[in-house]
Parts: sequence; C-alpha cells; structure tokens
Amino acid sequence: MSFFTKVARTAFNIKARAPARWYATEASASTSGLRLSFVLPHQTIYKGVEVQQVNIAATSGDMGILASHVPSIEQLRPGVVEVIENANATKKFFVSGGFAIINPNSSLDINAVEAFPLEDFSPEAIRANLAEAQRTATSGSSEEERNIAKVEVEVLESLQSALGSK
Amino acid sequence: MFAIRPVVANATTRSVGCQHRNYATLKEIQLRLKSVRSIAKITKSMKMIASTKMTRAQKTMEIARTFGSTQTALFTNADTKPTEEGTTLIITVSSDRGLCGGIHSSVSKASRKHVQEKPNSQVVVLGDKAKAQLSRTIRNNIRLSFNQIGKATPTYTEACAIADTILNEKIEFDQAIIVYNYFKSVISYEADTIPVFSESTFSKSGNFDAYEVEDDVLENLHEFALANSIYWGLAEGHASEMASKRSAMENATKNAGEMIDKLTLTYNRGRQAVITSELIDIITGASAI
Repeated sequence: MSFFTKVARTAFNIKARAPARWYATEASASTSGLRLSFVLPHQTIYKGVEVQQVNIAATSGDMGILASHVPSIEQLRPGVVEVIENANATKKFFVSGGFAIINPNSSLDINAVEAFPLEDFSPEAIRANLAEAQRTATSGSSEEERNIAKVEVEVLESLQSALGSK
Repeated sequence: MFAIRPVVANATTRSVGCQHRNYATLKEIQLRLKSVRSIAKITKSMKMIASTKMTRAQKTMEIARTFGSTQTALFTNADTKPTEEGTTLIITVSSDRGLCGGIHSSVSKASRKHVQEKPNSQVVVLGDKAKAQLSRTIRNNIRLSFNQIGKATPTYTEACAIADTILNEKIEFDQAIIVYNYFKSVISYEADTIPVFSESTFSKSGNFDAYEVEDDVLENLHEFALANSIYWGLAEGHASEMASKRSAMENATKNAGEMIDKLTLTYNRGRQAVITSELIDIITGASAI
C-alpha cells in the first residue's frame, strides 16, 4: 500500500515539477528569433546574437532571412549583408564572399572572408581601384592576372552600387 | 711549537695538492657559470618573446576558433558521418621551430595513430618538425609537405594557399581530418581533429535533405570549409606552440637558475678553501720564523 502511495507521490512530484521545466523550455522558445553568427577569420562580428532579420546577397539571388527560415546553404556573392537587429537598429556590411548556412534550429551562420561596415568605405578609393582593376582586366600580362582583376572589378562594381544605393 | 710543526708540515703538503686542484676547478666552475648564465639569459628572453607572441596568438586563436567552429557546426547540424570505405586525408598541423616541448610529437603521434587505423590514408604535413618525425614511420603516406609554417601568427591567406595547393595537387579524399593541437589553456594542449568532408560524403549525410542546396554550391563550400578548417588548425596550433614554448623556456630558465645557485655555492666554497689554505700557509710561514 505504502509502495503505491510512494509511486503516486513520485508521479505527482514529477507532475508538479513538470511545469517548471516546461516553463524553461518555453522561455527559450518564446525568444526564438534568428540567432546570427557572423564571423570572419580575423574578427567575430556576431556570435549567437538574436536578430530580427538578415538580408543577404546570395548567388541564387538576394534574400531576406527571418526566424524559422527553411534550412539552406547559400553562397554569398560580393554584396551587402544587412542585419536588422531590432526595429530601430540596422547595420550594413559589405562582404566579399563567403557562405551563409541556415540551420534547422533557426540559427544563421555566416562565414565570410572579409566584411566591413558600409560607411567605412571611401568612394574615391573605390573609383581609383576600379579604374586600375579594369585596366588590368583588359590588358593584364597573364591569364591569371586578368582573371584576378576581373574578380576585383566584380567586387568593386557591386561595392560601388551598394554605396550608391545607400 | 714542536707539537705544531709536524701538523703544519702535513697541512702544507696537503694544501699544495688541494690548492692546485682547487685553482683548476675554480677556473672550470667559473667558465661553467658564465655559460650557464648566458644560457639563462637566452632562455629568459625567449620566454619573454614567446609570452608576447602567445598573447597575440591567443587572441587570433579565439577568433579563429569561433570562425572554424561556426563552419564545422554545419557538419554537426547536417549529421555528416565519415564513410567507412572512403579515403582519408590527414593534415598534420605543426611548425618548423623546435624548443617548444612535445608539441610536434603530440600531433605526430595522433597522425600516426590515424594512419594505423586506415593504412591507405594520405598525409599532408604542415611544418618541418612533424615532417621529420612522420617520415621515419609513414614516409609512403606523405603526399605533400609545407614549411615556413609558424614563423608569425598564421593568416587566412596562408591557409588559403595551403588549401589551394592541396586541391590543385588533385589529392582525392572523401574526408579530411586536420590534426592539430587544441589549446586547452596556457599550460596544456591536446592533439585533436577537425573534420572536413568532400561534397560526395557531405551529400550522403543524415540530415542533408533538410537543407535547400544548389548543386554547384557544394564544391565551393567544400573548398571554403577546407581553407577555414586549416586556418583554425593553424591558429590553434600556433597558440599552443607559443604557450608550450613559453613554459618550456620558463622551465629552462628555472633550471638554469638552480644550476647557477649550485655552481656559485661550489665556487664560493672552493674560493674560501683556497683562501683558507693560503692563510694557513702564510700563518705557518710566519710562525716558523
């Protein structure tokens, strides 16, 4: 008899404790925003920070990512990564390339090679470098050099248009 | 007086012998002391250099660790498993410089163990020290080796160049493991591995269907992941090396200090003995007159 009451009590205890555990998981679930990790080899820009939305320029097209986006692997093209932290804080970074991985647990991992805030670029320097790169792209001495210059032109042109649209 | 004389006579003959030996050893001790002192100076400055380099390397390593672990999180999330029959590429990350404890043997040992498990795996060695150690036992598995590693804090460009060379050499592999020294703390490190999977292995992974992927992206992703993981390994290995070098040099300085103390003691004792015996000589000489 006492055995049964003990079992019943344990069962009750578990039941009584259950809401506390449920509450804890609920709490983390309720803040299920998009967890962003935005990392570079030499700098960590975001590490598991909750943000509202991230807009990226992927090779398959520009996309906006919200929480519980369908999991996917996207290659970034040179362009702007826009991080909307909340309703009134938005940061724009220009990335030269990398990968964005949206995981099933609603976390977004962006690995980029280089990224800088958009306002740190000087339009004059871009123009000068672009002219230089365009010259090398057409009249470079070796095939490899021309190809490198072509990539440079691509990056700089998209950088210029990103700055222009700001 | 009469009683003293024979004793004195004895003492003189003995002290002459002693004196002779003492002078020689004193000179030797002095030389020894000098060399130990200069070694201590060298190891001390090496320790200083290593600790400044370590602080810098540790900062780089922490960022690289976040970068690398973000990359490898994909494989964990996608539940990628190494294929049993596939070929493995082992990338051993070490450096060119010695005098840093068991850094190189730790990664060499770990790589050798992996080769023992899979005898047909290929090995790429970064750094001369590990290459020397590995070419003794698994010379035939080594496909490529790089040197000039670990002179300064590793850069991403270096990692890219290494990854590029590996890919250009057409080394086929289904999975790569990067064997590096995991930086546990400033006084401890441990050989660990970072996995990198080829696109075919990755597309077989358990959770792969959950992801939306365009086909041409996978190859790029694989190359990118390889470079990133190599960078992580390099940065982490460099930090461990500097930390280990620091403690090795600290121990060397401490040992040299102990040696200096001991030698100084012997030297002073010897000098005192010489002085005493000279004094005895003078006094007995004076008392004989």
